[in-house]
Amino acid sequence: MENIDKKLREEAKRLLEEKRVDTLIGYETGTLPLTATPCFITNPEDAEKLVWNAFCTQNLAKYVHDLISQHRESQKRVKPEDRKKKVVAVVARGCTTRSLVLHLQERQYNREDVVIIGVPCTGYVDRKALTAAIDGEDIQDGSLAGDQLVIKTPTGEKKVALAKVLSGNCLTCKFNNPVICDVMIGEKAPAMAGAEQEYAEVEDFEKLTTEERWAYFTKEMAKCIRCYACRQACPSCYCPTCFVEQSQPQWVGLGEDQTDTQVFQLMRLFHMVGRCVDCGSCISVCPMGVDLRKFLKKLDKDVLELFESRAGSSMEDLPPLSSFKEHDKEDFIFNP
Amino acid sequence: MARRKFATLKSFLDYIGVEGDRTIFTWVSASEGERFANVIKGVTAKVMALGPATKLVKQL
Repeated sequence: MENIDKKLREEAKRLLEEKRVDTLIGYETGTLPLTATPCFITNPEDAEKLVWNAFCTQNLAKYVHDLISQHRESQKRVKPEDRKKKVVAVVARGCTTRSLVLHLQERQYNREDVVIIGVPCTGYVDRKALTAAIDGEDIQDGSLAGDQLVIKTPTGEKKVALAKVLSGNCLTCKFNNPVICDVMIGEKAPAMAGAEQEYAEVEDFEKLTTEERWAYFTKEMAKCIRCYACRQACPSCYCPTCFVEQSQPQWVGLGEDQTDTQVFQLMRLFHMVGRCVDCGSCISVCPMGVDLRKFLKKLDKDVLELFESRAGSSMEDLPPLSSFKEHDKEDFIFNP
Repeated sequence: MARRKFATLKSFLDYIGVEGDRTIFTWVSASEGERFANVIKGVTAKVMALGPATKLVKQL
C-alpha cells in the first residue's frame, strides 16, 4: 500500500503541476483513527496528503458530478468567450469508475472533463462492523498490519481480522479493478473470494413468504429517520431537485408517518434500477444502519437477469431503462 | 421501455412484500372495448381475492 500511496502522490502532483487538471479528488487521512476522508486538492504541494487504503469509503464520483455541475452553473453568467474549462481528476476504485461510466452514459459531463486515476481495491472497512467487532469500544488508535487490524481501546489492545470487518458489498464485489481509467496506479487486485455468491443474500430473502418479507421491510424502514444521508452520498442521486423536496406535486409527505418513510425509501430505491453500482456509500453513511443493500441488490439482480445489463459496467451499454430488446420477458403482463 | 419499468417494478414490489397480484400491467387499445372490460374484471377478481390493501397506505 505504501508503494501505491507514493505513486499516487507522484501522479497527482504531476497532473496538477502540468495543469492538466484543476482539482483533484482523493482521500486523505481522517481526523479519527482508522478513517479516511475525501479531500480536494488544487495545489500540487498538497498532493502529499493523498492516501489509498482500506479506510477509503465514500464513492468519489459524487463529488465529480457536484464539482462539474457547479462549475457549469457558475459559467452561465460569464461571457461565452471568457468561459473557462474545468477538468477534475479523481482517484477511482472499481465502483467509483462504474459511477463515472454511469454519469457519462447519462450525459452528465464529457469524458474530457474528468481524468480518472484508477486504483486497485480489495474492499474497505465497514465502520459499523468494526465497532461491533470490538464490542462498541472507543477506538483510540489503530493500524493495519498485513490482514490484521490492531486497535487500541480503553481496555487494551485488540486484534481484528480485516476480512471480518470488510463491508458487505466489498465481500461479493466483482468490480474491484477500474472499468475505465486514464492512469492505473499499482497492480490489478485479485478477485474477491465471495464474488460468486453475489446474490446469495437476495436469493435467501426471496425464499421467505410475502408477509415475512414485508415484516422485514417495515422493520428496516422503521429505523429510517429521513436524514437523506443516503441520497446525499449516492453518486446516482444527482437530481437538482429531489422528489422529496418537491411540493407541486408533493410526491411524498414529510413528517414521521411510517408510510411516508416507506414510500420515500421505496421511491429512492426504485430510482436505482440499473443505476446502483453497489458502492455501499449509502449504507456506510446511514446513521441508523438500515439494510438498504438487501433491496438494492435485488434491483441489480433483476436488471442482470431480465436485461443482461449492469450499471456502469461498460461504456458501450445503453442505460437499461432507456432501451429495450424485442424479446424482453413479458410473462408479467396480465392477459385475461 | 415501459415494459422494462413495469417488469422491475412488479418484481421489486413483490420482493418487499406487496403481493404480486396487486401490480397488474397490460396493454389495451382504445378500440378494444371488450378486452378492456375483461381486463378490469380480471383485475377486480384478483384484488377481491386479496382483500383491502393495508401496505403503503397512509392512514389519515
